[in-house]
Amino acid sequence: MIERHLHAVRTDAPADESIAATRERLAGAFPRGSTRRMTQLGLLLGGVLSDLATGEDDAIVYASTYAETRALEDYLVSFPTPSPTLFQTSIHPSAIQQVLIARQQPVREFFPHTGRDQLVAHALQSAALAAAPRVIVCGGEEHGTWLAEQNAASPHAFAFAFALSVDPAGAVGHLRLESTDSPTGELALPEFFNALHQRSPLSRDVAPGLRLTLTWR
Amino acid sequence: MIRGAPAAVNAPLPSSISLAATDCLTAFGDARQTHRALLESRRALAFHPVLGGDGGDPVPLALAAGHAYDETVPPSWLEPLAGLAARLPDDPWGTARFPVFVTSSNFGVGSLHAFRRTGDARHLRYGTPFATVEVLRERFGWGPNVAVVSHACVSAHLGLLLATRSLERGLATRALVFSFDFVSPFVAGGFHALKILNAGLPAPYSAAGTTGSIGLGDGAAFAVLAPAAGGARPALRLTAQTLHNEMHHFTANRSDGAGFAACLAPVQTTLARRRFWIKGHGTGTLEAGRLEAATLARLFPSAPLVAWKGSLGHTLGSCGLVELAIVGEALRAGMVPGTVGTEPPFFSDAVAAEPFPSRDYDGVLLTSNAFGGAHAACFLSHD
Repeated sequence: MIERHLHAVRTDAPADESIAATRERLAGAFPRGSTRRMTQLGLLLGGVLSDLATGEDDAIVYASTYAETRALEDYLVSFPTPSPTLFQTSIHPSAIQQVLIARQQPVREFFPHTGRDQLVAHALQSAALAAAPRVIVCGGEEHGTWLAEQNAASPHAFAFAFALSVDPAGAVGHLRLESTDSPTGELALPEFFNALHQRSPLSRDVAPGLRLTLTWR
Repeated sequence: MIRGAPAAVNAPLPSSISLAATDCLTAFGDARQTHRALLESRRALAFHPVLGGDGGDPVPLALAAGHAYDETVPPSWLEPLAGLAARLPDDPWGTARFPVFVTSSNFGVGSLHAFRRTGDARHLRYGTPFATVEVLRERFGWGPNVAVVSHACVSAHLGLLLATRSLERGLATRALVFSFDFVSPFVAGGFHALKILNAGLPAPYSAAGTTGSIGLGDGAAFAVLAPAAGGARPALRLTAQTLHNEMHHFTANRSDGAGFAACLAPVQTTLARRRFWIKGHGTGTLEAGRLEAATLARLFPSAPLVAWKGSLGHTLGSCGLVELAIVGEALRAGMVPGTVGTEPPFFSDAVAAEPFPSRDYDGVLLTSNAFGGAHAACFLSHD
């Protein structure tokens, strides 16, 4: 069994907000002039990470099923003259890299997870096993357009971030991962986001042999 | 119950993690075939139109046998990959005690490009990371305990580290790290647009040219990790792993090379007492090659440096695991391939262009780098 405390839980559910509106709403979370080429997911994550003051010794665990959907769509549309900027922006860890490069904030350990049904389980397990005293867990999606119509992108945009540590002081929640005999289990990112956003408790098998219990103070 | 810092564990820490099995798939074949080709200084890279059937400039690609560059339904790389998976040890992979860590930078993204190009919706079954991994899971008979990690060209190192931690904490009996990346117009078009995939062949660590060039290659590999049981001393042991992310620029490193050194700082003490050689990243780009070679020579002046992407191409997110499998074969055979495809003068005197015997060493440092100034390294000890 592994137990950790949640600190500074931040969520953002912008519904159908446009990228331009997100950029305007969150401009204050970034150094001046750094948001021009950022994706919506990068902006949303920068927003929820803005008061977490990430340090080099923190570990960052990032979870996203689809990640840079809009950059991916636009990059594909750019063929037969593919865009170098959209190519580099379309890679899975790009949103966090956009945020930390804007801050010029190095970090030793950064684990970008993807997947679907067991994504939350494996991301939380990576966070719990990290050697760093504080682990920033974050994730989210941006809504797609033509790929979403093909069920190959998220229909919703959302983002979250929180810090995990062994320190109970000031914690707003508590997380427990324990071994079970269950051969199955799943918890997708939108459902986990909703639990964070609404401060709802969770207790369920989230992967084979792994049970998650999330409680709030 | 664990309440303390992560160092507190609920199972005995193994003295080191054993590399119990490994193999790879490259344009040359399996690890043994690839090792032999590298010893013979053969290049797998050949020129193909960057956009495949849609034409474009010729660029150096190393495609695996059976892989059609223009994506098919199902993807033509699936059968060669199944051939690699067939060589896995017979464990109940994907169950609670036998987790799988799949790592890739591309997954089946070539299928998204094919969908966009042809409108054939059947490509979409392979277009997202989770869909691709689900296809592999069903095909290979794995259970659902499959963690998926994607961090560009250091992806495989992250899989190794996460698998190691699961074993160290007693959460797994054995762990499988499985990595695959197959080249498509999607990724080649991107690197071509960045102008580092061009009409030149890669010459890792060479200061002779004025234009950096990379090649891209198909690559897949696996590594089975296990605790060193009962105080036994396994033949190959992962004894140190380290990461660092500069977060300085998307496609460039800090100009003073500080990111390379920061990654290796935590393992310098461990390495100080060892006689080892270095399997570097060595893609063929000029600035990164200069920084990498100079930093490694400064930190470890007696360690020979080799890189194999001048032959195999850059196998992207899988390169760390592909090259680990080749290292394993080099140690088994007793002969280390040199840096294929390069020419002097080199960025450092440590660059080894010719093969050399492994018997004079007791370890290998393997390094990889990626977009965002990501660095990763692991140390493989052997007797």
